[in-house]
Amino acid sequence: MKKQNIENIFSSMENFSNVPPPELWDKIEEKLNKPKKKKRATLWWSAAACLLLGLMLPSVLYFNSVSETKNNGAIENNSVVFDENKTDVNQTRTIPGDENKSINQKSNNQNKSLENNPVSTDTEKMNQRQENAVADAPNIIGTKVSTKKLRVGNKNTNETLAEKSSISEKENSFNTSSNKTFNKEGNANQAVAEKTSTTGNHNAFNSSSKNQLLNSGKENINQAATEKTSISGNHNPFNSSSKNQIADVEKKNANKILTEKTFSSGKQNPFNPTAKNQVANSLFEPKQNTKSNKTNTNLALNSSSQIVSTELNNKAKKDSDTKTNQNEAVNAEKAIANNQQNNSKFIDVLSKQDSIQLAELQNLEKGIANPEDKKEKETKPKSESDKWAVQVFAGVANSDNYKNDKTLGHVNDSKQSSTYGVKTKYKINNKWAVGSGLKINELGQSIANVSYMDVSEKNSAFFSPSAYFVKNVATPQIANNRSYVFVSNTTKDALVSENVQTGNLDQSLRYIEMPLEVSYAVFSKNRTNISLNTGGFVGKLISNNVALDGTSIGKNLDANDFVYGSVLSSTVQYRIYKKTNVFVEPAMNYYINPLNNQSFNQLQWGLNFGLNVSF
Amino acid sequence: MKDDLEIYIKQCMQNERAGQLKIYELFSPVLYGICLKYMKNEDDAKDVFQEAFLIVFQKISQYKFEGSFEGWLKRIFINKLIETLNKKKKENFFLDVFDPDTDFVEEEELDIAPIQQEKLLEFIRDLPDQYRTVFNLYVFEKMKHKEIAELLKISEGTSKSNLNRAKRILQKRILSIKNFKTA
Repeated sequence: MKKQNIENIFSSMENFSNVPPPELWDKIEEKLNKPKKKKRATLWWSAAACLLLGLMLPSVLYFNSVSETKNNGAIENNSVVFDENKTDVNQTRTIPGDENKSINQKSNNQNKSLENNPVSTDTEKMNQRQENAVADAPNIIGTKVSTKKLRVGNKNTNETLAEKSSISEKENSFNTSSNKTFNKEGNANQAVAEKTSTTGNHNAFNSSSKNQLLNSGKENINQAATEKTSISGNHNPFNSSSKNQIADVEKKNANKILTEKTFSSGKQNPFNPTAKNQVANSLFEPKQNTKSNKTNTNLALNSSSQIVSTELNNKAKKDSDTKTNQNEAVNAEKAIANNQQNNSKFIDVLSKQDSIQLAELQNLEKGIANPEDKKEKETKPKSESDKWAVQVFAGVANSDNYKNDKTLGHVNDSKQSSTYGVKTKYKINNKWAVGSGLKINELGQSIANVSYMDVSEKNSAFFSPSAYFVKNVATPQIANNRSYVFVSNTTKDALVSENVQTGNLDQSLRYIEMPLEVSYAVFSKNRTNISLNTGGFVGKLISNNVALDGTSIGKNLDANDFVYGSVLSSTVQYRIYKKTNVFVEPAMNYYINPLNNQSFNQLQWGLNFGLNVSF
Repeated sequence: MKDDLEIYIKQCMQNERAGQLKIYELFSPVLYGICLKYMKNEDDAKDVFQEAFLIVFQKISQYKFEGSFEGWLKRIFINKLIETLNKKKKENFFLDVFDPDTDFVEEEELDIAPIQQEKLLEFIRDLPDQYRTVFNLYVFEKMKHKEIAELLKISEGTSKSNLNRAKRILQKRILSIKNFKTA
């Protein structure tokens, strides 16, 4: 016998060969004959579709909001962004709450409601006169009136005149065009239009239609506004708006049908793979049985100890009873026989020392085999469902004014906030994953040196804030607190008042968001993983706060209850323990519609830190 | 023989069944032997063998007639075997860290009679997956620890540790036979 180390002993195995069973070629041939599956392509297409959907959704919503702004004049007028270059047309937005109510209640009889309004009677007459003048030279009067108003300050009558006249300036032309259309059309709509124009209250009428649009649901605004553009060539916009409502319903229905279709197709897709899986599983079932049986026989062959062998013999016997795999059963029986023979030899030959050594060896083998079995048991379900991951994260975010928007003539500054949430991810394959979850996030902005008047009763005994809001349309109402009147940068010089103060205005909108993201792993080595994520999100407003110099003064009136946006982020992940990873995630969020009519920081940079557990 | 092989390969590239069968007949024993050495049980070995052969026939057009064709085939098979083993074990695979105190035990030379290949194969297949893979790559494929570490995405230390532990288990198994025989 020659002394040799393990490598030498096993060197004979280097070129070990074994003729495979003949049925293997048949199986290979069978698979070669099958057409190639397009599984991978389907996977790529589905990932691409998800990505496209994630990117398209926010942009569609964005364009809807843009069309709303373009088509609905009232909305444009409502803008609180007071650029110095903008004319007073922008300042005619604030419509007294009382008027709104009466207009909304009697939308078909606007004239009546306005006639009944004692405040506006005189001014309406004046408006009639003003209208005629405006009709001749609208632009000049418009500018004149605006300057007048700016200088007059608190003189209410003149201000109202200014307001109305500027409205009439706009709507005169509007009515002329509508009258023309009616002459051509000659239908029932004409009566309404004529009525409006003859009474001279068409300003209110038209503004009411705008108010209607404003007060109706946001989706309706969008859709009605778009419809309006397409139809307005032939119809009176007021009447067409009613048609729009019908069109909206149809549209909604159409949309529903579309979405239904989409969902049903979406359902069909996952259904097919399941069906395939079922088939596949059923194909593999007998295979699995054979595997288990075979494992047992192997184990039986490999066992050298008495205890193990008896146990395995029992197993093998049980297996042989099944008669599903007769050959294997025969092998197992042979193995049992061999083992029994060997065991009998062992029993005869083994000395006490040897038996101790053997027992040690058995223990060692068990020690190796058992933890491994446990590990297998642990890992098997894990590896099967390892595609899921849960992330818990928190971070900081900075809302940014990328368009250099202004509010009240001041540039909106960025504002920092915190964010936290939980997310789940599902791995489609090694590269692609989809994820969703819930996140609490805050979008905000701060405006420095905002001029405002504290018109609360204690500060202004002779100054009624409600009157100010009604008459002074130049005053944008940001918060629902009427004690503070914000003054545009352009108007503040015209106001000589001791009440005018300056302060920092902070606005914050907190949302609960649900993102839908697609992730692509760009780098994966050892414990490190880098992925790019993109998608969209929908958010529900949960907190709305306007603070002046750190003191809360109420809520922002124009905040939308639901927001939409897109996300772009990159996750750098490092595995710290088995299935646990830590990650850092720089992200960029774009909010499409945080506020209705005001400018607001829409871009948000963020840095999230978190823990990721896959299972 | 070499010319014949080239013809068969070209036939395979044309997806001709005759060429594919010839390649199968020529190399299947060696490749099946590799599968048996790497996988714990025969059924798994058969599965990998089939899948790897399908990959061979699908990717044969990528073979540039440079270097040994058998080597190219073996690489595909070993990659497939490692992929399968990784899928089976994922996270818990190769997590052992090299411990110089316990893993640097000097190898004992054994004074034993030649052992049958079947018995040796049995010993190898009884090794835990991670030890077996490293042992196979190091002893039979003559790969260095650095290469093994890169291939298996583990550290060199882990590779050394796995090899040493595999050797110790095998040593004990062989000693048990010796004791059995001498007794």
